[in-house]
Amino acid sequence: MNKKRTLKDTIKLLAVTIILALSVTVAWSKPKGNETKGRFYFKQTCKSCHAKGASGGEITPMSKTQAQWERYFTAGKHNKGTELLSKHLKAEQLNDAWVYLVNHAVDSPQPETCGK
Amino acid sequence: MDRRKFLKVAAGGAAGAGVATTGFLLTTAGEKPASVVARREVPTTCEMCVNKCSMIAVVEDGVIKKLNPNPENPKSRGMLCARGNAGIQQVYDPSRLKRPLIRVGARGEGKWRPASWEEAFDFAAQKLAAVKEKYGPQGSLWSSTESFQESFFKSLGLAFGSPNVERHPTLCLASVNLAYSLTYGTMPSFDLQNAKYIIISGANRLESFITPDTMDLIQSATDRKARLIYLDPRFTVTAAKADEWYPIKPGTDLAFILAMLRVIVEEDRFDKEFVSTYCVGFEQLAEHVKPFTPEWAAFETEIPAKEIVRIAREFSDAAPRAVYYAGRRSSWYRDDFSMRRAQAILNAIVGSWDRQGGMVPNGKVELGELLFLPWDDPVAPRADEMDKNFPLAAKGDGAYLTLRENVLAGTPYPVKAWMVHKQDPMNMLPDQAKTIRMIEQMDFIGVIDIQMSDTAWYADVIFPESTFLERQDPVEILPGIWPVVVMRQPVIPPLHDTKPTLEIVQGLAKRLNLSQYFDYTIEQWVHEQVKDLPVNLPLEHLKQHGVYVPPGFPKYGTTLKPEHRFVTKSGKIELFSERLKEAGYDPLPVYQSPQQPPAGKLRLILGRRAYITQANSTNNPWLSSFQPENDLWLHPTVAENMGIQDGDKVEVSSSVGTVRLKSRVTQEIRPDCVFMLHGYGKRSKWQRLVYGVGAADAQILETAWDKVSGGAAFHETFVKVRKV
Repeated sequence: MNKKRTLKDTIKLLAVTIILALSVTVAWSKPKGNETKGRFYFKQTCKSCHAKGASGGEITPMSKTQAQWERYFTAGKHNKGTELLSKHLKAEQLNDAWVYLVNHAVDSPQPETCGK
Repeated sequence: MDRRKFLKVAAGGAAGAGVATTGFLLTTAGEKPASVVARREVPTTCEMCVNKCSMIAVVEDGVIKKLNPNPENPKSRGMLCARGNAGIQQVYDPSRLKRPLIRVGARGEGKWRPASWEEAFDFAAQKLAAVKEKYGPQGSLWSSTESFQESFFKSLGLAFGSPNVERHPTLCLASVNLAYSLTYGTMPSFDLQNAKYIIISGANRLESFITPDTMDLIQSATDRKARLIYLDPRFTVTAAKADEWYPIKPGTDLAFILAMLRVIVEEDRFDKEFVSTYCVGFEQLAEHVKPFTPEWAAFETEIPAKEIVRIAREFSDAAPRAVYYAGRRSSWYRDDFSMRRAQAILNAIVGSWDRQGGMVPNGKVELGELLFLPWDDPVAPRADEMDKNFPLAAKGDGAYLTLRENVLAGTPYPVKAWMVHKQDPMNMLPDQAKTIRMIEQMDFIGVIDIQMSDTAWYADVIFPESTFLERQDPVEILPGIWPVVVMRQPVIPPLHDTKPTLEIVQGLAKRLNLSQYFDYTIEQWVHEQVKDLPVNLPLEHLKQHGVYVPPGFPKYGTTLKPEHRFVTKSGKIELFSERLKEAGYDPLPVYQSPQQPPAGKLRLILGRRAYITQANSTNNPWLSSFQPENDLWLHPTVAENMGIQDGDKVEVSSSVGTVRLKSRVTQEIRPDCVFMLHGYGKRSKWQRLVYGVGAADAQILETAWDKVSGGAAFHETFVKVRKV
């Protein structure tokens, strides 16, 4: 026998649904950037000049602290401030590289050398 | 032999790409040649354990006759252990997996039908796609253990969209790795060849596992270059070779180390210059260790106070050629992380860092990489909830025991497909009945392996991998005091209908519309890795020698510059850890007296012998002949009370299971403990030598873990023993 749903039941169900939806949204919100792709863009673009022995001098995620990488990407400047980072990577790619480098900076919980 | 056959054999020998071809007549002068044997020697890399020693395979007429050590690899120390030699049996064992199989009976019933690769791929891809459709990509679990092709398997799981790539360290060495990493920013090597004073807590390195450290310890013990102090509830081979053995009360090693720290600090025996230049938090440490007197530690550990004081003094006198050795498997107690942190701190304050005979940061070699635009990061959080449970632990490795709890509880979401790569969770995890419940609630289980493990026994589809002597792998860097690059190349073609992992991954990826991430050959992959190695014709060099040894190692003192920044939050060696404090943990190691077994119960401790070490070797015919089954060690006074004679069958029960095995009554163990070897009593009937032989520790071990690293605590189970 089907039980008739009361207004109280409906409100309760609605409340649970909203809470569940919110919790999923909060817990699974898309990160600011894609770390895996960030590693690729860093290796493909940045390492062409910043590998060991290359013209720009070696740079790895561990070359800076998290705060230094944050400042670097917030400023958005490259080559000692003479050009914009956006000259080398598109906005979305920059976000990905930003997340990767901050997450693996020298003072991060998961440091990483040269993206390996 | 006729000319045609001779040419065929010779061509076969020459066809072995990049190998030293030495076809010759196996005759003596003047003797009529009975036959011509095509003999080749192929340098490659062992896969019988994680140590990856270099070896040279001797192949005659296409059959592997012998595996020899490769003296060119300094890390192998010119040796190949019993397990390495027995690698041949992986190839020729009649019970190995020879073709894809699909289950036809109930899970665990052992009924299979052979399948083509196409059919096996289609079957698995369909099941994986169904789980993805119903539960999302996070509904799949991809678990694997260290191997040269593991990265391809993990990549498939990540490309599929699952965050649940689960590795083995939390069942092995997660706590020691994390403790040293949070202290020094890296897990160093120990320069045992040059150390003068070595203290070891329970790491039975002369018996349980053969590695370069084993060889160095043997040399040290034999030549008496080093003094070896060994703490273990059992009298092991390492104890027998040590200068001093203390049957420490189980779970109290941290008390011993804290008292050593107190003696060294109170008596001003620490390296002041090193501490002031390279460390942070010494003042907090000095205050922290004040209560831990040798007398207090003597009560906890049952090691006399005067011996603790003497050892602390000798240790600091011998520094920097003095180390508290970290060992490897560190999955013992709930406080494993704190105990390993205390070791790391002790080594630091006497300055045994980056100096000959101390701990040395690992040297590295850079490899190239085949670059391609990768997949999007998984959106869902990990099912093991690493961020919440173990925020400082290595995220890429996962936490196996909380994962299993969550999968069984269906939180934070259902996980219904399980792909397993050369891992045997049935024997690796405690509480096997719980693992079986986890298996039973899966909609699909696929296993890649070379043998029918207990986990494969419960799978729905099995993909047989070619053995390490039959396949080309990516090259690998072995970091260490002597870093090297090693090559694993096929010694012979696959004997059966098997494939390397990359091809298995590509077969699945094709059907899951993920081919764009695996569109390369192993040859292309290896080419990109090695092309810039600073050696003439790097690929040919590796094929010919099996190893590339960079010049200039060992190097000492590279970090001993005041301006050097350690890879820690403060940039210094962290005696006191702000990062631990921020995460809600004790910033300095805090001791809690371990719970003792209640009346009528005994503490179960585990161990290994080097013939087997991992459970996947117990069915190897050659190795099994050395150690055909395990038994239960118990002390004579305990045995007498229970009416147990040496060799009697006994029943061992915990809160999660019961096993039966033979007893071994011996004075070589404390009366409050019992001991058994890991990896016997298999459920898989294809493990014919150990099916139902001895007992599986996994069936009686209870679930417990270290709260910082998530590492399993395998020595926290109390058992009842009775004669049957």
